[in-house]
Amino acid sequence: MIEVSQDCKHPDNLSKSDFVGKQIVEPSGSLIWLIAKKEIIANIRNFKTPVTLLTMTLLLLLSAHALALDYQNRLNNWSVNRDSQRDPIVGGRVSYDLSNGSFSHGVGFSHPPPIQPPQPFSAVVKGMDGEMDRRVVVSDQIVFWTRQDQPAMSALFDTPDTSFIVKLLVSLFALMFSFDASPREKESGTLRAMLAQPIRRTELILSLSLGASISLLASFAVAYFIEIIYLRLAHGLLSGWKDLVRAMLIFGLASLYGIVFVHIGLFISTITARIRIAITTTLLTWVTIVLILPSASVLMAKLLTPTASYNQLNARLWEARRRILQGEFETNGSARTARPSRLLMPRIYEIERQETDNYLSGKKDQNRRARLFTVLSPAGALTFGSSDLAGTGVGTYNSYLELFRSNQDVMIDALKRSLYLSHQEGDNLIKEAREKVISRQRSAEPLGASFRSSIIPISSLFAWAIFFGLAAFWRFERYDVR
Amino acid sequence: MFRTILRREFQETGDSFTLLSALVALTIIVPLSAYIQARYYQDVVKDYALRQSINKTENNDQSIVLIRPIPPLAPFFNGAYDSLPDELRLRNDSATASAPSGDLRPLDWLFPKIDLSFIIGVLMTLLTILLAHDTIAGDREQGTLKLILAGPILKRTVLAAKVTGVVLPTTVILIYTVFLYTIVVTVSSEGAVGLSGVNLSALTVFTLVSIIMLIMTAALGVAISASAKRSSASLFACASIWIFITLIWPTFGAYITSSSKPVPPPEAFQRDMASKEKELIREELAEHRKTTANLKEQQVGVEAAWQRYLEVRRKWIERRNEEIERLVRERNKQIHDQQTFARRILLFSPYVAFNEVLGSLCGTGLENYDEFLAAVERYRQQEFIPNGLELRSRQKPWLNAADPDERLQLPPLQTPAPTLSKRLAAAAWPLSILIAEMIILMMLGVRNFERYDVR
Repeated sequence: MIEVSQDCKHPDNLSKSDFVGKQIVEPSGSLIWLIAKKEIIANIRNFKTPVTLLTMTLLLLLSAHALALDYQNRLNNWSVNRDSQRDPIVGGRVSYDLSNGSFSHGVGFSHPPPIQPPQPFSAVVKGMDGEMDRRVVVSDQIVFWTRQDQPAMSALFDTPDTSFIVKLLVSLFALMFSFDASPREKESGTLRAMLAQPIRRTELILSLSLGASISLLASFAVAYFIEIIYLRLAHGLLSGWKDLVRAMLIFGLASLYGIVFVHIGLFISTITARIRIAITTTLLTWVTIVLILPSASVLMAKLLTPTASYNQLNARLWEARRRILQGEFETNGSARTARPSRLLMPRIYEIERQETDNYLSGKKDQNRRARLFTVLSPAGALTFGSSDLAGTGVGTYNSYLELFRSNQDVMIDALKRSLYLSHQEGDNLIKEAREKVISRQRSAEPLGASFRSSIIPISSLFAWAIFFGLAAFWRFERYDVR
Repeated sequence: MFRTILRREFQETGDSFTLLSALVALTIIVPLSAYIQARYYQDVVKDYALRQSINKTENNDQSIVLIRPIPPLAPFFNGAYDSLPDELRLRNDSATASAPSGDLRPLDWLFPKIDLSFIIGVLMTLLTILLAHDTIAGDREQGTLKLILAGPILKRTVLAAKVTGVVLPTTVILIYTVFLYTIVVTVSSEGAVGLSGVNLSALTVFTLVSIIMLIMTAALGVAISASAKRSSASLFACASIWIFITLIWPTFGAYITSSSKPVPPPEAFQRDMASKEKELIREELAEHRKTTANLKEQQVGVEAAWQRYLEVRRKWIERRNEEIERLVRERNKQIHDQQTFARRILLFSPYVAFNEVLGSLCGTGLENYDEFLAAVERYRQQEFIPNGLELRSRQKPWLNAADPDERLQLPPLQTPAPTLSKRLAAAAWPLSILIAEMIILMMLGVRNFERYDVR
């Protein structure tokens, strides 16, 4: 808006300063907001925002319902297991003592191996929590039973938790809000009109970014908080303030993820001149970033960090035991089938401890590396970041493994000490250690630790948002508006 | 005229940015995925051999472990193979089989592995959608549709040319993808993946089913394109339906159907079973006590007592089988009902139907696991228990001189690899759904195009 001075002066009396236009320029901040507002209204009018709101609300509620029931089921499962630990042990031995010989029959039924309680926040982000439902027997070795899931169709597909919906839909809607920003304005002719205003191109794209982000995040915020309220009211979950902080942090992470895709969409819009090409590029980009990159990163990490399988661990333990017994056989000439002597047992226990430590460390390293590789992509950063914040991520899983490692130490120490005690005393000591091990349950990861774990994924998302934002600004500076 | 339209369609598809970028993406993803799958399969085969050697040493008349055979086409479609227990333990004092241990694979649950079924079912169907969505609406926008229809040609012929123009290039890419994947898997697995005879035929049927899947997707794209006025609207509708049937419905459907037909949690079932087992153990011990008292009273020799003991033991094993099996049968029925319900609901998604067909063809479906369970149960009743008892009857525990080398000699678990016709028969139901969906969508496309306003 330029308003030229209208003072009446004779042309000969005009000085140089009289030719300087008195500019009444709209502050660029209000112009940015004005264009952003136009975008937000346009998104409401062309049904993008209502469709986003409706779809997200519906799917997040469905997810909350399905996952809350799943959590309830797993909790029931755990509480039945816990009660079973108090059930009586049944068994006995009957001796058939006859005049010319005897034999006996023994049978017994003990408690089931314990399982760990599920985390309430797994109703929002299940993460690795399902993997921790296993029965685990800890003695001188650790025996991880198989997962407790039923062989069902769900084994074939993803888990429909909030993280899954955000990963798929927030990214898709973010792209939908932004992919055609430049070509649409260009095709309708409004781009030239807007650039005729005293607004810089960077400010214009900033306002388009603001408009798309607000349209997306407002819809997502409403849907997400309806989900949290539903979980709280209908299922009694997420009632503590710490849970609410976790929920807020997950919302923040998901919003950041949405902004990354808004910027990716804007970038696509600045490199494509026609909407048709923009749509195709957007869909291909979405599939690559959301569906392919995270899985490919995990596979690469697995290739680069090969770990022993559980069967390989068993084979190593068996081989080590065989070697020790063979050594004893060769030295003492004792029977091949004899049980290891008291002197050999500590050696066998130490090897079991060492091999199990190696196996668990390998698994933890693989998880860490997979996490490091995967958080480099936005969808991977979201998956790991949200599970970290929910307390169902790699950090929690690694401490779950650490719990069994230390339980094994307790058991091995008791077994070693029992070798030098009387039968009765030894049995009591082992029983005591077993009870101690069974009573140790994993606790929820502290909020601070969860937040610290999620710093790398958050930083990765920030970096992507800035990178694509700058790329979009840079490309838009060179965008041909004709 | 048909040829002219077809040639034009080919030309448009061949020049399209979509096809080129998809081809580049597939050329990167396919070998990478095939290589990783082959390496993983090699590990599985090594693990299998390792487990066999461990089990051979550790199996005895008290307990044995049976391993699930490795499906030879698992690198092409992982299916449910990784998600379910790969070995089961049988014990002579228990009437059920339990999964003794499982490897820790949390990452597989967070990020499913990319296999050939993912590449075709997700990536190639998306490519087909991108090519098909503007076949009619795009021509209308450009104004060429009026010109085409001004000629002496039936609308159906135009539609047939349009569908063929999408299906043929995608089929060529599909064959290229399958060929590339197969070569890389075979070479990288260093002989672990054996492709001969029935497996090669199964892979051919795999490709044919994939072509049906692509035709179905093309028919969906054309049917929507023939009812939309703008290609962007058509793409929006196509992409939404694709996302729903490929990503949302399979994921949600499985959970929702499970929660609407719940089965008691596994620990509750185990507890019920344990309580029954304990009751039977108490009764059995009581009978043994009674028997030993009677035998003492009758002053019977130890050999005769041993025979009497074995009779009691056999009777209680049979009783336990009967009682526990009843519980297991009830439980299995509940799970089976839940699965059947979930399947019925989920099969409406062509992606699920496609996966089901591939599961039957590659031996990685849920039915294959059920077959394994049935084979294990047969083995328990026909081999493990009778042979275990027979071995016990030969033993003379009162002499304390049991021969350590006298081990339980059992034949290997028989799980014959199904023939191609059996695999096809198992895949008949999902395959017929896929074909029915394809026909319905084609008819819908014809109907929509007949009523299409070309102005």
